[in-house]
Amino acid sequence: MKPLSGIRVADFTWVWAGPFCTLQLAHLGAEVIRVESSLRPCVTRLLPPWPDGEPGVNRSGYFNQYNQGKLSLALDLKHPEGIAVAKDLVRVSDVVCENFAFGVMDRLGLGYDALRSVRPDIIMISMSGYGATGPEREYVSYGPAQVPLSGLSSLTGYRGSPPMHVGISYGDPTAGLHAAVATLAALWHREQTGEGQWIDLSQWETTICMIPEAIMEYAWHGTQPERNGNRDPWMVPHGIFRCAGEQRWVAVVARDDAEWQRLARAIGRNDLAEDPELATLSGRRQAVERIEQAIEEWTLQRTPMEVTQVLQAAGVPAFPCYDSRNLAEDEHLREEGFFVELEHPEVGRKLHLGIPWRMSGTPCSVTRPAPLLGEHTEFVLRNVLGYDDERIQNLLASGALR
Amino acid sequence: MNPSGALAGLKIIECGGLVAAAYATKLLADLGAEVIKVEPPWGDPARQRGPFPTGTPDPDASGLFLYLNCNKRGIVADLATAEGRELLYELVRGADLLIHNVPPPRMARFGLEYESLAAVNQRLVEVSITPFGTVGPYRDYEASDLTLWAAGGLAYLNGAGPGSDDLPPLKPFGLQAEFQGALNAAVAALGALFARRQTGTGQHVVVSIQQCVASILELTFEYYPYMGLIASRLGQKPIQPLDFFECRDGWIFVCCVEEHQWERLVELMGNPEWARLEIFSNRLARGRNWDALKLLMQEWMATQSVKDLYHAAQARRIPLAPVSTMGDLLKSEHLQARGFFATFESPSCGRVTIPGAPYRMQRTPWRLRTPAPRLGEHTAEVLAGIRSGNPWAHQGTPGKVAKESGS
Repeated sequence: MKPLSGIRVADFTWVWAGPFCTLQLAHLGAEVIRVESSLRPCVTRLLPPWPDGEPGVNRSGYFNQYNQGKLSLALDLKHPEGIAVAKDLVRVSDVVCENFAFGVMDRLGLGYDALRSVRPDIIMISMSGYGATGPEREYVSYGPAQVPLSGLSSLTGYRGSPPMHVGISYGDPTAGLHAAVATLAALWHREQTGEGQWIDLSQWETTICMIPEAIMEYAWHGTQPERNGNRDPWMVPHGIFRCAGEQRWVAVVARDDAEWQRLARAIGRNDLAEDPELATLSGRRQAVERIEQAIEEWTLQRTPMEVTQVLQAAGVPAFPCYDSRNLAEDEHLREEGFFVELEHPEVGRKLHLGIPWRMSGTPCSVTRPAPLLGEHTEFVLRNVLGYDDERIQNLLASGALR
Repeated sequence: MNPSGALAGLKIIECGGLVAAAYATKLLADLGAEVIKVEPPWGDPARQRGPFPTGTPDPDASGLFLYLNCNKRGIVADLATAEGRELLYELVRGADLLIHNVPPPRMARFGLEYESLAAVNQRLVEVSITPFGTVGPYRDYEASDLTLWAAGGLAYLNGAGPGSDDLPPLKPFGLQAEFQGALNAAVAALGALFARRQTGTGQHVVVSIQQCVASILELTFEYYPYMGLIASRLGQKPIQPLDFFECRDGWIFVCCVEEHQWERLVELMGNPEWARLEIFSNRLARGRNWDALKLLMQEWMATQSVKDLYHAAQARRIPLAPVSTMGDLLKSEHLQARGFFATFESPSCGRVTIPGAPYRMQRTPWRLRTPAPRLGEHTAEVLAGIRSGNPWAHQGTPGKVAKESGS
């Protein structure tokens, strides 16, 4: 038994934001059926990494990471028979999730009104870049452009330097998680009232929800926080420092005066710990360059993990800047049970990242790898939709199952 | 239709500091759940972070706190004392959910072990948002947002690009690791409540922020298990343009990942001869020769206005985006038409503007019911409720939001 056992999701999403939403629902035990087409495969099926560098729609680590636990139904939504099957799927589903540009589902004949007529209590969530209202709703939205659009880039960067990215298409998972919350809330409402609904999510807005300090500063004072590297207005020191080795770095923070004292002593700088000018936050702000230099002189002689162990022993927050290999080889994450290694027919046993939480009563785990494109077409048609052999043969012949 | 929200009727206790627990319960409170926030006598540290409307620190007027805690009630209880824990347990009796981000070494001391809570209310779901989980060797490590961003592998991916080896990995603005923990906690909390519908009992959910951060590494993590390669900020982007340009009045982000988008951008730039050079003939070539191409494009971009270029590009289906400043966002006609930002009068600090809900739920609309509580604002009310046998009762009129806009 899992939390969402018995809940079925008709998953029309693609790329990252939408699939990240339905990944959450799959983690919770919902039966997530991805509707895909080999005529226009998900972008993530076409991107690397591939084992041995050899491309293939079932070989991408990107797709295989974010579609664990889901089923795949191959369906051509440009084909009238494909649309008929899609509606049959919605008829037996609880949730429809999609992240096409505004208007695409309507044009396919799969808009909310059409779907509600086949399943009156359906919950449908549309997660377009700009949302379904407003003058820019038809604008094209790509993950990498969402970060600057959201305002996060104008706030992120080294001091006195241009705006920067954040390293990933941050708007996508942020939208996906918000979408999962809204979908679960709508399901909860349906359990109480029997009523479904349509949810209009804007990916743009989900990221703005995570920079409230800057929004409020502007609303009050007409200014915005300056780009300030890794520093923090309320914690000094607060930085990422170079360590021994090639591109090895460690993050170190003192959250309050007491932590600063412990940090200074731990790096052998009793002189700094005892310096009355550095005893307070405002004093340390004045001397931040000097403090950062003292820390880096010390970290440069040590590996990130040595730094971490010494500072953690003193009760100071510190941790290496992990790269993917550090993560993959981390004993801690292994003991936490975070990794998933399942046999996949085309890539074999590869390490994937699993569920970032644990439930004591109804444990959840990933029990099947990401699906091959169309792997479950026959299963879904036969077992979920109840089609007979003849119907399936006719569909195959029609070309709708591609 | 339920104007009180999709989660109306759920009773939630939050023992939160800064963002992780507070944003999780904000999401649920905004969806209609009733949330009582428990703060120590010195208050949630979010009360110290600002920004402040007058520029002077004031624990009842910190922007971050006002945003994260609207639609909640707030009480003061020191969980390090027996009285504080007793008060907490009175609330637990009638609660559906308790969400906290008290670090594991302090959980037992604060009376937050699941067994003790379940002994009082076996239907209670407890969600512990932790830095590193509760099992592995780093479970008791001290952490802050920055160290968790590093521990989850995201810091290593961002910062100055090729040739900038001397600059450190770069964090994003704000407390993003905590926000990720919050979102995952809200998902898992609702999941556990669905499980309760079937099992009849609550359970303990542990969220690891390190793992939440590692969950969003996009395609970079799998490069190691699939190909033995390690992604870093210093690597060259394989395809271009995907970069920032300075216009005459601000910054714009040019995103042309498809050939047809590039073709249309070249047209928009007035078909310069250099755009037809062999070394820029496809997206991979543009990636390899980006240094040269960027200089040529920058020259043209410098003459443009961000807003005009954005709309002109989008009219041609090219996914350019402005590098929005906060002013751009607050003045955006699109966001205004959607009624995204909400402005209200707060009794403690006047006019407040915050981001609203990022989703419109047709049958259960978002509503700003009450402003964030002043420190201990509802302590007397809850204590009176306990004396009368119903700690969750509202006495008198709840504090109303004076003025409301947005939807």
